[in-house]
Amino acid sequence: MPQIQKKILLVDDDRFITMLFDKALKSEGFQCFSANSVSQALEVLKTEMPDIILSDYQMPDVDGFEFRSIVLTDKRLKNIPFVFLTSYTDRDMIQRGLDMLAVDYIDKETPVPLVVSKLNNILQAIRKQHEKSMYEIRVAAEALNLSSVPALPPEIEGFKVNFLYKSFEDYPGGDFIDFIKVDNRFTFMVLGDVMGKKWGAWFFSFNFLSYIRSAIRLCVFDGDYSTASIIQKINKVIFMDPVLGDVLSTLSLLMIEQDTGKVYYSGAGDLPIIWYKASEKDCNRVSSSGLLLGVMADGQYNEEVITLASGDQLIVVSDGMIDFEVNGEKKSDYDLFFNSIKPKLGNGESFDLIKDETFSIQKSKEIVDDCSLIFIERL
Amino acid sequence: MLETSKHNSYTVATLLIKEANLDVAEQFKTEMLQLVDKGISQIVVNFENVVYVDSSFLGALVSVLKYAMSKGGDIAVAKLNKDINNLFSLIRMNKVFKVYNSFPDVFA
Repeated sequence: MPQIQKKILLVDDDRFITMLFDKALKSEGFQCFSANSVSQALEVLKTEMPDIILSDYQMPDVDGFEFRSIVLTDKRLKNIPFVFLTSYTDRDMIQRGLDMLAVDYIDKETPVPLVVSKLNNILQAIRKQHEKSMYEIRVAAEALNLSSVPALPPEIEGFKVNFLYKSFEDYPGGDFIDFIKVDNRFTFMVLGDVMGKKWGAWFFSFNFLSYIRSAIRLCVFDGDYSTASIIQKINKVIFMDPVLGDVLSTLSLLMIEQDTGKVYYSGAGDLPIIWYKASEKDCNRVSSSGLLLGVMADGQYNEEVITLASGDQLIVVSDGMIDFEVNGEKKSDYDLFFNSIKPKLGNGESFDLIKDETFSIQKSKEIVDDCSLIFIERL
Repeated sequence: MLETSKHNSYTVATLLIKEANLDVAEQFKTEMLQLVDKGISQIVVNFENVVYVDSSFLGALVSVLKYAMSKGGDIAVAKLNKDINNLFSLIRMNKVFKVYNSFPDVFA
């Protein structure tokens, strides 16, 4: 079975059939929506996006073929795999269904366990095809040396820095991380999330990263080390960019001053940073004030100065870290994340504990977006 | 995906979806831009049916706002559930959009 519970929409005017399949598919881990007419099915599709639709041909009022036509004209729904269910093994009917880009048909006489296997096979075949395409694009991206996360964390004397990155369903996504070591005194840290998922966001993440890298370098050349001023300049350029102006991104920009342990921080629509203070053995949240990059010409950015003492830790995260899927319901909950991270901090093994907690195989299944995290500890 | 109704001086666009995510973001944007192009540019987006919003959808929402503002209009949001409301505050979307608990008498 696939990792996440798959949703199926069953459409048949015969209530006995929908009940039978509903029971069998639920026991196989599917989440089922049953409809006894096309209008009921369309009602379900207003709010749900099933992974596959299983529909009867012959139904009163609107039949399965017409239903298929309606689905095909809807941009949002047309790519959902569609399987016809029929009590007819009429070749013409089958041909007509397959001509309408139905991926398969299933005879109602087929024993239920076989139907379940067939549906699983279809979903698996689609997944394999996706994986193949992804692999090919990934190979191309690697050949072009495009990467939105660094290979290794930077080495900064007196600090332990590390990061975690997990893409959504193994697609590269909109999160990006970078470390820019200016000299032995200052190191910049960048964590952002281009709003969107998968390839679209991934593609734009390079554009954002390029702007951010150049802005940091150019500002530093001019002696401007203010994270607020740098982020405002980045925002202005993105706001004016005709393409990127329509794409939005969060950004957490930090600059570590090695000698003093000071961390200068500005953020654009990002989540609060978690600061573990060793002296208090407690965690605080440090919030930035700025707007998402590219929303308005003036992003209202401020700069927070965090002075890290020995043993203090900082956690910077992207919004995927606070998204959870519980019983098929998705939600964003920062407090839940904060409380799950808190007990892991203030420990020599904090980074590994966080990694085990938030990036375990079990947790990966609950991920609904890209997840990124930067960990900083003053030794 | 949107149901529109006139409310005093503005239009309410009710989202008829539970999950406002990547799958519906593009369609939402298209439908909203069509409204703005028809001259309807004072819009309150009603989230009462929505339980989850992802970043792709927020991107579409901001993109529509920028377009409406360029036409002299404005977009607000109403009836966010607790989680979505928290998310709006966390990432400062509440500074970008007017957020209403119920439909305001006037929105301008």
